[in-house]
Amino acid sequence: MSIEYRVSSFEEYRGGRREASKLKTQNSKLVRKKDIGSVLHQWSKDYTIFVPCNEGDTAFTVHGSRLTVYGLWDGSDINLDWYRNTVTPPKANFLPPLEEMFRFQKGKEGHSMELPFEPGVWSLESGVPLPQLIFGIRPCDARALSLLDLIFTDAYQDPYYLPRREGAVLVGLVCLNPYDSCFCTSLGIGPGESDDVDLLLTDIGDEFLIEEISDKGKRLMELTAGLKDATEDDTARANEAKEKAYGRVTRKINTEGIKDRLLSAFEDEHYWEKVAAKCIACGICTFLCPTCYCFDISDEMVKKQGARFRCWDSCAFALYTKMPMENPREEKWQRVRQKVCHKFEFYPMTFDVIACTGCGRCIRLCPVNWDITQTLRLLD
Amino acid sequence: MNSDHKMQQKLRHEAKALLEQDKVDLIIGFEAGSLKFTTTPLITKSKDDLDRLVINPFIVNNLALFLPDFKGRIAVASKGCDSRSIVSLIQDNKVSRDDLVIIGIPCPGMIELRKVEKLTGKDRDELDDIIREGDKVVITVDGKGSEFPIAEVLSDNCLACEFPTPQDYDILLGEPTATSQESRVKSRESRVKGQGSRVQSHGEGGGLQSEASPDSRLQTLKAMSPQQRWEFWRKEFSRCIRCYACRNICPSCFCKRCFVEESEPRWLMPMPRWQENLMFQAIRNIHLAGRCTDCGGCERSCPVNIPLRCLTKEMYDLVDELFHFKAGMDKDAPPLMTHYEQEEAEDLIR
Repeated sequence: MSIEYRVSSFEEYRGGRREASKLKTQNSKLVRKKDIGSVLHQWSKDYTIFVPCNEGDTAFTVHGSRLTVYGLWDGSDINLDWYRNTVTPPKANFLPPLEEMFRFQKGKEGHSMELPFEPGVWSLESGVPLPQLIFGIRPCDARALSLLDLIFTDAYQDPYYLPRREGAVLVGLVCLNPYDSCFCTSLGIGPGESDDVDLLLTDIGDEFLIEEISDKGKRLMELTAGLKDATEDDTARANEAKEKAYGRVTRKINTEGIKDRLLSAFEDEHYWEKVAAKCIACGICTFLCPTCYCFDISDEMVKKQGARFRCWDSCAFALYTKMPMENPREEKWQRVRQKVCHKFEFYPMTFDVIACTGCGRCIRLCPVNWDITQTLRLLD
Repeated sequence: MNSDHKMQQKLRHEAKALLEQDKVDLIIGFEAGSLKFTTTPLITKSKDDLDRLVINPFIVNNLALFLPDFKGRIAVASKGCDSRSIVSLIQDNKVSRDDLVIIGIPCPGMIELRKVEKLTGKDRDELDDIIREGDKVVITVDGKGSEFPIAEVLSDNCLACEFPTPQDYDILLGEPTATSQESRVKSRESRVKGQGSRVQSHGEGGGLQSEASPDSRLQTLKAMSPQQRWEFWRKEFSRCIRCYACRNICPSCFCKRCFVEESEPRWLMPMPRWQENLMFQAIRNIHLAGRCTDCGGCERSCPVNIPLRCLTKEMYDLVDELFHFKAGMDKDAPPLMTHYEQEEAEDLIR
């Protein structure tokens, strides 16, 4: 069976979408930071709103560092001055860590399948309805969702991911204080990239400048009361802030010809063994990567009732490609190679785009500081 | 010149000599990480790499973890807890003492970055500098330095550490870390009484007493009703994403195939639901009885801040209380859970 690729490249795919949705002339508005709550109130009539919030920082735990995740907005005023980026990427809002696919039962006539819920409902437990609005998504994570779209619309149309994605509104927030682990500017984007969001906010002091990026964003703005028009001066201040933020991303990788360099290094066992030596083969860098999408499917049956689930899986795990006869990636170095090559070689071969947005989570959260930028630098 | 720097010089020198004299094939130590205030394991056969070896208050990983991965003779830099993990691996026949050269680091305790972040309200990469000076630490933010007692930023497991100096070594890089027998006894007594122990910091100044209790969280948990505790862990384990970093960073989790990966029979589903997440951690913890050396790696590596040490430390204390056993102290002793002695209390089985 040959697989027919619907999409030949990221540019083509995105170009088509952008033409359909991108605005010819862009409008900008202003909202005072203290009025964000009232704006969210207006939006909450049509959307389930997710905002960056802190979890796991109770007086009980010694761990004081922020554990930032996208959580359901509780209706209160929000202040995002502290916010940098989340630990869990927003892919979790579209490809949840755990998802029920369908249920089945065993009767006299064999198994029968049923779907007692709408696919693409946000989560099993909360059952939050569509559509969702993600407030404060960073440009790197928004780009990551565009990259995930490729895989979930390519060989098949994923009936769980796509309804969530199609209904969702992404309200981006320019990243003025990138981490030292960030390297987005090497991947063709930057802290102020607007291509993948519907609205883009820039912090210009007491106010946010809101840029309308897509049709969806424009419609949302038309329904929003209490905004001022932005002046040229406001726009200039926002542009200056973006440029400054761009300069604060100091970590770099060389992406030129990276696909070919990885191709020629593929058989270099010595290189891969060396770079993989300290990797502990846990799932942090893949689970928390905004562009990793692998999942595992399990059936669970109690008496005669059962359900099929899918949950995140990771190529770092030894079990990942284990089959009855063999495991083509028995060794840790083969699995590390898979992770690197998938992002920087195979994705470019299939879609002509690198499946990394430089968000830096894999470096920042790695328990042994395994750094993909160092691994790639060895190939320069 | 501080003692870390002296030890670092000596480590580089000793490691070079070991390779040059063909006494080992591989060196495992730490080098500077790619991010501020981090280190990363350095695993090398080349003596050209050895000038990158470092010793500083951020060498947190337990390097015993890597020993079963490599064949041949290995020299490994080892803190107190690492050395106990190595001994524990020897007890379990995972590595052979004859293949190892243990380069002991008398450990003054590791700085917990999450505590520094809490103290300053800044993220790690927003800090200019963290400098340890004996029993003080100077943290510089935006060019302004503030001084704190070192005990405020040391890892909980380091504050509770009974054996900061390696228990078994071939080379010791400095003077054994000062911890008086008295303070150890005191900490034991207070634990038995169910109160927070008085902590001794292991700084160069030595003998610093702090009011901070490394096990206060454990005491809070113990004071809860079973229902409250259940609710607490339900909430904590709802966050778990089952990345298995806690297991993979742990030298005592040496199974080639973890029970959670078995499918016939299937002990646990792979789905990250809180019940299964909690069950996974509970079973892992039981497997660690008599093996866990309280290095703190599991909690430190957890990306979603689950206070895992509250479970492992309780097991550590129980093993001590019920069997008078401390992991990784005697390489010739049989592993705790494979061995039975007649005088063992029968009231264990109730």
